[in-house]
Amino acid sequence: MPGQKDLKNDVLDQDLCSACGMCVGLCPYIKTARDRVRVIYPCGLAEGTCYSICPKTGVDVRAMDLAVFGREREDQALGVMQGIYIARAVQDRASGAQYGGVASALAALALEQGMVSAMVLTGGDVLNPYPVLARSADEARACAGSKYTGVPTLEILNRAIREGLDHPGVVGRPCQVLAARKAEHSPLPGTQFNQAGSFGLVLGLFCFWALDPKFYQFLTNKVKDKIIKMDIPVEGPVIEAESGTYRWQVEDLRPYIKKSCNLCLDSTSEWADIAVGSTEYDPAWNTVLARSDKGRELLDLALRLNVLEVGEYPAERFPLLRRAALNKKMRVLKMQEYQPGRPGCPVVPPEYQKQLEEQWGGIGQ
Amino acid sequence: MTIMGVCCDKPGVKVALTGNESIARGALEAGVGYASSYPGSPTAEVLGTLAKLARQFNLYAEWSINEKVAMEVAAAASFTGLRSLVIMKADGLNVALDFASALAISGCRGGMVIVVGDDPGAHSSVREEDSRNLCKALHLPVLEPASVQEAKDVTREAFSLSESLQLPVVVRCVTRVCHASGDVLLGELAPAGRRPAFNQGDRVITFSIKLHALQEQKLARASDWAGNSRLNSYHGPGDAGRLVIASGPCYMYALEALEMLGLSEQVGVLKLGVTWPLPEKLLLSYLKTAAEVVFAEEVEPFVEDNVMALAARHWDEVGKIKFYGKRNGQVAGPNGPGIGELDPDVLAQSLSAIWGTPYTKPALPAHQEIFDLLGTKMPDRELALCAGCPHRASFWSIRTALELDGRGGIVLGDIGCYTLGIARTGYYLLQTMHCMGAGVGIASGLGKLDCFGFDKPVITVVGDSTFYHAALPALVNARYHRASFMCVVLDNETTAMTGHQPHPGRETTATGEPADTVPMEEIIRGIGIPYAVQDPYDVEAAIEAVYRMLQQQGPRVLILRRACALAAVKGKQKNRVYVDPEKCIGDSCGCSRFCSKVFACPANIWDAESGKARIDEAVCNGCGVCATLCPQQAIVVERTV
Repeated sequence: MPGQKDLKNDVLDQDLCSACGMCVGLCPYIKTARDRVRVIYPCGLAEGTCYSICPKTGVDVRAMDLAVFGREREDQALGVMQGIYIARAVQDRASGAQYGGVASALAALALEQGMVSAMVLTGGDVLNPYPVLARSADEARACAGSKYTGVPTLEILNRAIREGLDHPGVVGRPCQVLAARKAEHSPLPGTQFNQAGSFGLVLGLFCFWALDPKFYQFLTNKVKDKIIKMDIPVEGPVIEAESGTYRWQVEDLRPYIKKSCNLCLDSTSEWADIAVGSTEYDPAWNTVLARSDKGRELLDLALRLNVLEVGEYPAERFPLLRRAALNKKMRVLKMQEYQPGRPGCPVVPPEYQKQLEEQWGGIGQ
Repeated sequence: MTIMGVCCDKPGVKVALTGNESIARGALEAGVGYASSYPGSPTAEVLGTLAKLARQFNLYAEWSINEKVAMEVAAAASFTGLRSLVIMKADGLNVALDFASALAISGCRGGMVIVVGDDPGAHSSVREEDSRNLCKALHLPVLEPASVQEAKDVTREAFSLSESLQLPVVVRCVTRVCHASGDVLLGELAPAGRRPAFNQGDRVITFSIKLHALQEQKLARASDWAGNSRLNSYHGPGDAGRLVIASGPCYMYALEALEMLGLSEQVGVLKLGVTWPLPEKLLLSYLKTAAEVVFAEEVEPFVEDNVMALAARHWDEVGKIKFYGKRNGQVAGPNGPGIGELDPDVLAQSLSAIWGTPYTKPALPAHQEIFDLLGTKMPDRELALCAGCPHRASFWSIRTALELDGRGGIVLGDIGCYTLGIARTGYYLLQTMHCMGAGVGIASGLGKLDCFGFDKPVITVVGDSTFYHAALPALVNARYHRASFMCVVLDNETTAMTGHQPHPGRETTATGEPADTVPMEEIIRGIGIPYAVQDPYDVEAAIEAVYRMLQQQGPRVLILRRACALAAVKGKQKNRVYVDPEKCIGDSCGCSRFCSKVFACPANIWDAESGKARIDEAVCNGCGVCATLCPQQAIVVERTV
């Protein structure tokens, strides 16, 4: 297994880093400023945990399904799941929460129930996001609201584990979910994750891409007053500021999309215990995918304790969601830069690829 | 080697002094009333010694802001009739040169001595400048002591020469004399008590070509005086055909070399205590009998060139002489002629080659044994910042911030402990290094190249003492021209490198009097440059501070302030720092010996046997920075307070 030098050459210097933060702070040699992850000094070791846990190196989609869920996926669009729902927070909906506030509510519930000792989240606001290690439900709720730039939040996870934190939880983008799973399942050169045990909860977010920090420049040039909230629905990005609402086209943001996100196959956090995203039709609700048993149990508990209101996922919306996810995958697989097994490019084994093409063909465009 | 010896009022008694103390004693014997200096090796201890005795001898002593000001304040005292002394290293004479060249024309009144410390071999300097060439250009007489005793005698003599010529006199003293210790036969202490006088109508002016003529006359008188001075001496047979002309400690080396070669009876040694202007008549009298002349001096062929010019002018009197020295490469150390120090061995080898006298370097059996024993085991001692040095933490923060920034920012520096930023101990950060304050000026220059597309961020580091000494004009220039760069003041609250002398940012003066402190923040604010202050020991915060400021434009200053680690623990019990071997992961992934291999504080060592990090408690100053950087929190700090 390669090490820090390869991480630098293969991922960081190739602009393939998605700023998940998992390698940051594993050692004194990898650090971050905003979303920038840098090797500040060569450690000289041939093998490194940093390379092993990087979500942009050495991923086989099927092997990861087996490692996390013990089974292969049937649905190539959305991955392994036990159920898909719409949901919204019933009580204490966090202020500033996106859509139905489900991610914040579930993170808070996991903390209250002792399922996790602490939860890694992204706090701050659109212009100034930063990692937060929430130890209480209130701290978790305070992080509500989507951030659209890559924030290396998992850095704080490493710090917490080093300080002896057991069964932590993570709320993250698909790349961060994958990083957490690699830390859990890979044989690692370093001992950083040996005492951590498995994660208490991995709550994934839907994410089609994250934006480069140059986006801040774009934003501050366009919006001069305080930004309250940002959203990127199908129609294009919307900024709610104090002075009013600003709208652009997705195309306006494309120059700021991270290169690594263009090569990512996973838009629904396929290896999370539970994944949360927008509904794309009702801003008061979220889409929720229960994937693992743990995710399923958390959702049941939320329902039982009246934390969440949960409904059937509308049958007519389901193909649309699958189409969006499949389209992204097919776009990646057809890209010239996509070379399976190369850094930044997950491996889709032939049987998965065959199913993928069949399922994609079966979806009306 | 004590202050007691310097002020001992027992003429005729011998006391052990260092060369620098001996200079101070010479000044006291001459009745010095005013002394000023900017600290610089090898002469840093002269002013410190006089400052301690200031009250007792009713003299005034100050650490001036820089050498030019030091020379000006000393000149002022001389203009009023007081005897004054100004001390600097060779580099300092460069700083003072503008004033010195004017002062050499206007002349002085009370005896004024300029002690210049030259550093052949550049032991504690960036270059081995030979200041005699400058002194010649300045038209100032130069006296050179050959021993610790002479350091005193020459200094005392310099005062009376200066007073009689009404011209400042330079005492050029090299490291081997300044830092040596030896018995000094004490003379009479002169009673202080001259009263300064500068009356209406008194004029000390540098103007008119007539003064140039006067200057030349003064030098001619100095040459006549030198011919009879006891500072020059001859040792050897009468009418020697073979002659060594030596100055400074090379005189001692010459005597020793000749003795080793068994040539003491055949070869004469003429010691020049006055090397500018040359004692021409004296020299001619020896050149007339000599057929072969060897020059022994450091560093440049100064006496050599000037004596050869003298001989050329008097070719009809001196006859044919073969000259051996640096010009023809016959007198040369391992680095070549005119480079580095001489010593008895180098000189013996040169003389042996010149005269064909066999010479083998004396074996020192006792020492050889030790070398054999240790030779393979002794690691090279590399240039390193001290254990706990705040500059190390600062350099690490700057390096980290630059890597995070990723634009290939460049770092400039200049003179101070932080000069070691050129070496591994400073992560090889510094890319330019010239003289006091030069980093700020160069940064100001680079900070204006954006119009040509130069877009790299520029950082210059400057020490606190250097900040006051030489950084201010460049900072004002930068502000005025909107030059874009970041100046990091590595403020260790002292002039650390030369022995913790105070500067205008401190609360007391050289003599311990309360001072009106001039905080650098107020200066920077006054110039109109934004600044921030950060403790470099808080490495995370320092990285953040450097990174944040790197993103800004225009001139800006970050003060990384933390007392010099050596000064901080002086007289105090140090924190105990140790490694918990249970937690240390040593070579493994996640550390890879960060503390000893990368951060590389001399107190962070590697125990090969256990495969764990260790703290060298004898060296550690207890700062605890490594404990905050250890990824495993394996380093424990037991605070004493």
